[in-house]
Amino acid sequence: MANLSAQLLAIDFSGLRDEIFPDTENHVIEAGWFVVNGSVFSGFVVVVLLLLAALILRLTVIRRWKTTPSPMQMFVEWLVSFFDKSADEMCDRYGTIMGPYTLGAAAYICFGVLIELFGLRPAIADLGACLALALCTFLFIHTIGFASNRARRFKHYLNPINIVSDLAVPVSMTFRLFGSILSGMVIMDMVYILVEGIWYVGLPLVLPAILTPLFTLFHAFIQSYVFASLTLTFVQEAAEKVPRKMRKPKPKRAREARAL
Amino acid sequence: MELLIATIANFLATDGALLGAGIAALTGIGAGVGMGIATGKAVEATARQPEAVGKIRTMLMIGLAFAETTAIYGLLVSILLIFVS
Repeated sequence: MANLSAQLLAIDFSGLRDEIFPDTENHVIEAGWFVVNGSVFSGFVVVVLLLLAALILRLTVIRRWKTTPSPMQMFVEWLVSFFDKSADEMCDRYGTIMGPYTLGAAAYICFGVLIELFGLRPAIADLGACLALALCTFLFIHTIGFASNRARRFKHYLNPINIVSDLAVPVSMTFRLFGSILSGMVIMDMVYILVEGIWYVGLPLVLPAILTPLFTLFHAFIQSYVFASLTLTFVQEAAEKVPRKMRKPKPKRAREARAL
Repeated sequence: MELLIATIANFLATDGALLGAGIAALTGIGAGVGMGIATGKAVEATARQPEAVGKIRTMLMIGLAFAETTAIYGLLVSILLIFVS
């Protein structure tokens, strides 16, 4: 046991800082004006993988669409109808736009985190990626708000607190996503450094295998679901009809009095 | 006297950031209490009306996401204090 504690004391976590906040001068790809850091590179990989998966599904499963579905068709139907149904429930008239958008954003977030399992830096552990996703949501909220309420939407801005709370939406979505993904990444990097230092009976094999599902898989699905449902909630709030001002009916007694 | 001031300044520059990181992690207390209350109420609601479990789950998830945000802000602040300063 003394051996293990000596090993634990000998580990140095000084490499952790470079893992979390990598040097800005250190680029993965550098070809003339095309300069890309680790997160953006894994983002490109995720986009290519998702497009390939969509193409393969289009050519194999959707071409052979049957009334007695195969397991893969069942999965695709469940996935698409899960997002479409919740979008239809939340914002009924704009469900046809919001369903595909939430599915796409959730797929990007989910696979952007899961790519950590292959040793790349997760695509979402970058403030720019989170801000881009949050700004997409911001754009959808206000476009649909204006499309649904036209000029009456401006009445919403008469209250200055509403302006502040609208501006807080993208900021809070950005930091929620970034913080939760970054914390998962930090914990996993710490575990990897710890495991490098310890070469004790099978522990290097067992410890990451137990902790990875907790900090990577769980986060990926929960955060993508939360992002999709928050987007739908905000859009529903924006698409709600502002009640028209009811014209006051004339007091009955006065009219009767005039008739007399 | 000068030695004392120098010591305090040195402490604030190096260990003060770590102390602040520890204090920032206290946001977890509020988030934990809030999430616990929300989950308990959701369990009560499900026991009272089991057929509404789908709606309750959606609302619980959104509420937990909001409650979790403060804890994540604290975590982010403490990570920045440890590694960036």
